Amino acid sequence: MSEYEALNDMMNWPVYGLGQKQKEPVLLDALQTLTMHHQGVCPAYRQILEKLWRGRDFKSIENLPFLPVRLFKHERLLSVPQSEVYKTMTSSGTSGQSVSQIFLDKQTSAMQVKVLSRIMGEFIGPRRLPMLVIDCRATVASRRQFSARTAGIIGFSTFGRDVEFALDDDMFLNEERVTQFLTKYAGQPILLYGFTYIVWLHLLRWCESNKKHIPLGNGILIHGGGWKQLQSQAIDPQEFKQRLKTATGISHVHNYYGMIEQTGSIFMECEHDHLHASVWSDVIIRDPINFNPSAPGQAGLIQLLSVIPRSYPGHSLLSEDEGVLLGTDDCPCGRHGAYFKVLGRIQDAETRGCSDTYTR
Amino acid sequence: MIHIPDDVSLKTTVLAGSLTTISNKPVETFNESRIEFLAQLSRCLLAHQTSKTLPDVVTFAYWCRQANLMRLRSHYCHDRRLRMGLGMTFHICPANVPVNFAFSMAFGLLSGNTCVLRLPSKPSATTNLLVQTIKTLLDEPRHLAIGQALALVQYERNDDISKFWISEADGRIVWGGDSTVTHMRAFPCKPRSREVAFSDRYSLCVLSPPSILEMDEQGFKQFCKDLFNDIYLMDQAACSSPQLIAWIGNQTDADQAQARLWPEIVQIVEQKHTLQAVQVMDKFVQACRSALTGSHVQVVERHENLLYRVKLDGINPHQDVYRGYFGTVHEVVLTHLDELAPIVNERYQTLTAQGFDNALIRDWIVRHQLRGIDRVVPVGRALDMNIVWDGYDMVGSLSRLIDV
Repeated sequence: MSEYEALNDMMNWPVYGLGQKQKEPVLLDALQTLTMHHQGVCPAYRQILEKLWRGRDFKSIENLPFLPVRLFKHERLLSVPQSEVYKTMTSSGTSGQSVSQIFLDKQTSAMQVKVLSRIMGEFIGPRRLPMLVIDCRATVASRRQFSARTAGIIGFSTFGRDVEFALDDDMFLNEERVTQFLTKYAGQPILLYGFTYIVWLHLLRWCESNKKHIPLGNGILIHGGGWKQLQSQAIDPQEFKQRLKTATGISHVHNYYGMIEQTGSIFMECEHDHLHASVWSDVIIRDPINFNPSAPGQAGLIQLLSVIPRSYPGHSLLSEDEGVLLGTDDCPCGRHGAYFKVLGRIQDAETRGCSDTYTR
Repeated sequence: MIHIPDDVSLKTTVLAGSLTTISNKPVETFNESRIEFLAQLSRCLLAHQTSKTLPDVVTFAYWCRQANLMRLRSHYCHDRRLRMGLGMTFHICPANVPVNFAFSMAFGLLSGNTCVLRLPSKPSATTNLLVQTIKTLLDEPRHLAIGQALALVQYERNDDISKFWISEADGRIVWGGDSTVTHMRAFPCKPRSREVAFSDRYSLCVLSPPSILEMDEQGFKQFCKDLFNDIYLMDQAACSSPQLIAWIGNQTDADQAQARLWPEIVQIVEQKHTLQAVQVMDKFVQACRSALTGSHVQVVERHENLLYRVKLDGINPHQDVYRGYFGTVHEVVLTHLDELAPIVNERYQTLTAQGFDNALIRDWIVRHQLRGIDRVVPVGRALDMNIVWDGYDMVGSLSRLIDV
């Protein structure tokens, strides 16, 4: 099969239709091909494999090499000539930290869109829906530099039509505009999208503190971007859903887990609050002490695999999040493959040493 | 008495001692009442329940026990010459090695000075226990004189307050590495004031392969525990934690010695050390970066995530910029100690050695006219703080020798 045919074939895989046994060989083949591709064309990736993975075989998905996702903050990792870089994405990054740089060529970018649309199709159906973004227009004003929020809004907007923004540029909910939008599309399904924290603060908290009800009963909310800020306020996903339902009547709420380093092949939350790997991706939970795969139910570092990244060596990444594998192929929602939950970012440890006495 | 401006006192919290009665009058070195105070502090700390969970406190308490202080005194005072403190010393203490403020205080007091110490605001069990114990002792009438010669203070980062103390001080002790030292040095001080500054340092360990291979099982086990302590106890972030492990000898012996040593070390780490996920992640990221930007890196040997060995096929003149943490050693095999000499610059601090004669190392340091290496100690002693530290004789640096 030519490369073009192989890619086309890959795009036709059933999103959640393959059991782990059938999925693994095809996924492994695609990931091994990518590993060899990056090894051949990305000198930095080759160096790391030679020096850190010497003498190890890559014969199973669990044995494939992985890079720490933070490496993209320190190094320019590129598997295509600079001239073929079509778009550069940057991570949001906590304040004061360096940001990741992800270099996309046309093909990788196209695959991101394709895979995301196949996954989204499973949750919102084949048609584009009127879309309300829980954010402000200013977030997408600068298109040259892609933050995770910008990328999210633009990426998900392809599944919507008549896109409207719920917030003004000062991040306050514009009640009039939202009501107008909802009146216009009354009785129809609508798509809502936003970052988890923004949905919580500027929609949910707004409704609650102003004692307002915004009728979103026909809406499907897709939200992502992490729970970090909410965890500090002790809000868990179940409570988030429950309170949203009370405030707006919305019952279709899907969180997604993903990272800018693997845009496209996101992990969607099903009706049973489980995050699912699609056929183009997988997760492995690893014990921090030895990086051995953890058994289901055991917490560990989340490794993410994706068949998309070709223009940068990001097809197998060790994240800084901890999670738990919940099961494989047997989620009551009927989707096949691995499903898991995310526990959150690994905790900062106390740093020792003789330096930095005067930083605080 | 030192006049303290309202601006300074209002923004300062006194944890122990007093600023209102503090005076800059020195006493003779190894003053009787100061030895008594420190020896009693040692006894109280060792008797305290909480100490058992704080090995750094125990180390300090053990160091300032009566017998050791008497030993130090006889070492310094054997010639019967008169030594007095400088006056008042101001200490900027480190946040990341909490116990060091206590050593800094002891050095200053034994040298005969009034000591004002700025403690880091970062909370720590070690600091708490030490401060509380010191405070309790100072309330006893017999330590009244110490109370007028000691103040443990805290203030939010504030250049004006630091500037005031540095302008008043007859000596300043600055912990905290290059950036803090440079920052504090910019403030004007008295023409005769002295400085003891602890900048960033780099430390290494030299091993003779035959000496590892010849050890009997019991000696070997103890040696491994010692090396483990040196590398792991301070997460390899202390100035004296070994970074580079240099095997001096032929490759075959070195291979065999490595095959004996490292599996045992890994086992100890597994049993005695808890690595946090975030530390593993730092370590793994750093290992990848070593593969990309390190010098002479052949391979990064990963023993699970417990020990990473960055194996080098040569050493770089700037080897001291390549550091590791949480059990990441750089490792090289060299045929002769002489090959190591060219990389030793003024940043090198502690050399831990196994299988080398002290006389040989002394000769090596002199012959190569080394600007660095301030301590040569056996494996297992890398982290032992002492009154001679970082190339300074603390008492000599913080006192005056009076020619009568």
